[in-house]
Amino acid sequence: MIKTTELSKKYGAVTVLNIADLQIPKGQAFGLVGNNGAGKTTYFNLLLDLIKPTTGNVTNHEIQVNASEAWKPFTAAFIDESFLIGYLTPEEYFYFIGELRGMNKADIDAFLAQFDEIFNGEILKKKKYLRDLSKGNQKKVGIIAALIGRPEVIVLDEPFANLDPTTQIRLKKLLKDLTAASNATLLISSHDLGHVTEVCDRIVVLEKGEIVKDLITSAETLQELEAYFSV
Amino acid sequence: MIKQFINFEWKQFIRSSYFQKGIAIKILLVFLVLYFGGAALMLGIGLFFILKEVLPTLDPIVVVNNFLIYWLLFDLVIRFFMQQLPVMNIKPLMIIPVKRNTVIHYLLGKTVISFFNFMPIFIFLPFSIVLLSEGYPVLNVVCWFFATLFLGLSNNFLNFLINKSNVVFYVLISVLAILIGSEYFNIFKISAPIGTAFNALYNNPWFSLIPFSLMIGLYYINYSFIKNEFYLDDAVSKKIKEVNATDLSWMNRFGSVAIFLKNDVKLIWRNARPKQVMMMSFLFLFYGLIFFTNKMYSDSPAWLAFAAMFVTGGFLMTFGQLVPSWDSEYYKMLMSQNIPYKKYLESKWYLMVFGVTLSFILSTPYIYFGWKIYGLIVAGALFNIGLNSFITLFGGALNRVPIELNVKAKAFSNTNGFNPTQMLISLPKLFLPMLLFYLPYKFINFEAGLFVLGFCGILGIVFKNFFLNKIEKIYQTGKYKTIAAFGEK
Repeated sequence: MIKTTELSKKYGAVTVLNIADLQIPKGQAFGLVGNNGAGKTTYFNLLLDLIKPTTGNVTNHEIQVNASEAWKPFTAAFIDESFLIGYLTPEEYFYFIGELRGMNKADIDAFLAQFDEIFNGEILKKKKYLRDLSKGNQKKVGIIAALIGRPEVIVLDEPFANLDPTTQIRLKKLLKDLTAASNATLLISSHDLGHVTEVCDRIVVLEKGEIVKDLITSAETLQELEAYFSV
Repeated sequence: MIKQFINFEWKQFIRSSYFQKGIAIKILLVFLVLYFGGAALMLGIGLFFILKEVLPTLDPIVVVNNFLIYWLLFDLVIRFFMQQLPVMNIKPLMIIPVKRNTVIHYLLGKTVISFFNFMPIFIFLPFSIVLLSEGYPVLNVVCWFFATLFLGLSNNFLNFLINKSNVVFYVLISVLAILIGSEYFNIFKISAPIGTAFNALYNNPWFSLIPFSLMIGLYYINYSFIKNEFYLDDAVSKKIKEVNATDLSWMNRFGSVAIFLKNDVKLIWRNARPKQVMMMSFLFLFYGLIFFTNKMYSDSPAWLAFAAMFVTGGFLMTFGQLVPSWDSEYYKMLMSQNIPYKKYLESKWYLMVFGVTLSFILSTPYIYFGWKIYGLIVAGALFNIGLNSFITLFGGALNRVPIELNVKAKAFSNTNGFNPTQMLISLPKLFLPMLLFYLPYKFINFEAGLFVLGFCGILGIVFKNFFLNKIEKIYQTGKYKTIAAFGEK
């Protein structure tokens, strides 16, 4: 359960995020949509304690994120390329994250084997540093790394952006399988309304930092979202 | 079009991050430039008279000519490490309707306006003026001056070619080492024939056409080189190197911090900037030679202690003071991954201990200068490990300047990770040990000084957890500011 109470973030006089109350139950696939500047990434950054809330707080499994570090062992995220270590190879990066999450090389190799489809032969054993991979391939590495070690909370900011169509489809399947098979809470943001309605059980629309819609996904959700955004 | 380019250049200069920094930095930078410029100027003016004084039997211009080759080689090596080449900026210019030739000429011309090309003017211009005022023939001196200028610029263009090929660089370094070695041990004085050549250059003014054509020649090699590779996948793009993965699993014996240590080794090995800093810290090892061989210092042990700190502290002072900036590119990840802050800091501490220990092992030859000097180095190493490491980490908490890992630092145009607070923090690293050694030395004896210095270091190691906890709190407090600052590029 991720509980957000009276959370706000202001830069000077500008309020970029203001959420009075938001509760995300454990195991939910939660989607965040909104136009540029709506506050999606800001919310994720607050959840990961990367920026300081102006008021209020987020608790992740009863742990207030800006008061204790105890949420780190069960939370994983990929926000942008700054989550990658450019001078490592993909394998080295996976091993590094694995070691942080108590998995050895053999565990990681076994874990990576199931993503052959997504990697599409372009990631592993290529003798390339992460900084030299294309944006799309970097993204794949970041997303897969965020799944290492069975985290209970997974935060992915715009996971579909920059990916090729085939990988987008494979990633959708992967995320759906993941939430079906485990009890992990998945938080994603996206500009692609189709993808997000397919993957998520619940969709929250942000506008200028405020929650304007909170929908449980149904057959009509996509239409409703499209209607909302086609101004 | 060239006017446009110059306008861009000016904007890049005044809008770059270092120029937007505080007034203190600007003053410091101006001061540094003035200092080096002034020092060069003084040297240029004084050179003639100094040489006259030291070697009264020889003509100063002959002496200068004999050593000109070393100046040129040294200049080339410094350029290789420090001078940033502007190739990367071609990209946005590739598809706009400007003639390729214009862009290339502009790029090459731009490299001429570099600090490294002004340095010789500062030295050789005053030297030439002094020569003229001493009644040397005008035509010869003027031509000679321009010849040195052309040679400097030849270096400028040669450096570009060397940067494209490591082989050329290593050949050059080896040649330089062999030449200096054979010169020093009187095996073969290479400076003699080359000196003769430079003297001939001075005596026959029209010979300066040779360096001139050398410069023009190198310019055109560069020109055709860039022209041939004026595509995204050639000269313009950064080189993608194939990974040479080394097995670092032997480092696992360092327990829970091993994972970070392995990363840091890769960081140093695979990125341009840390490599550069490592080279610097290696040079610190030789710092003691200046002090220990000089009669002026060997009689004042406080200065010897000062030098001893440098011998083992090079890595700590150059690499260590840029913690945590080294991790700035992926700091957000480190802060949200399953890493307790303290563990991160502890790993950096171990890295510094590692650096000091390695420098200490490499400094064994200093035994040659006697056990007293070596004792100072031992005590200094202990102090570096036990206290300076923590002072360095503490200083890092106030250091919020991101570093671009794979970009070489430029001289005077890159103040990455450098700020006045950092300067202030580094003062106690040098003066505290001097004081701790000097007081007991003054009032008791040399051995007491050694003991106090070393003992303070050991105390630091004993209270490691206490210090780390304190430092962790400071890092925690500044966490958001650091993340935000590292996010700005």
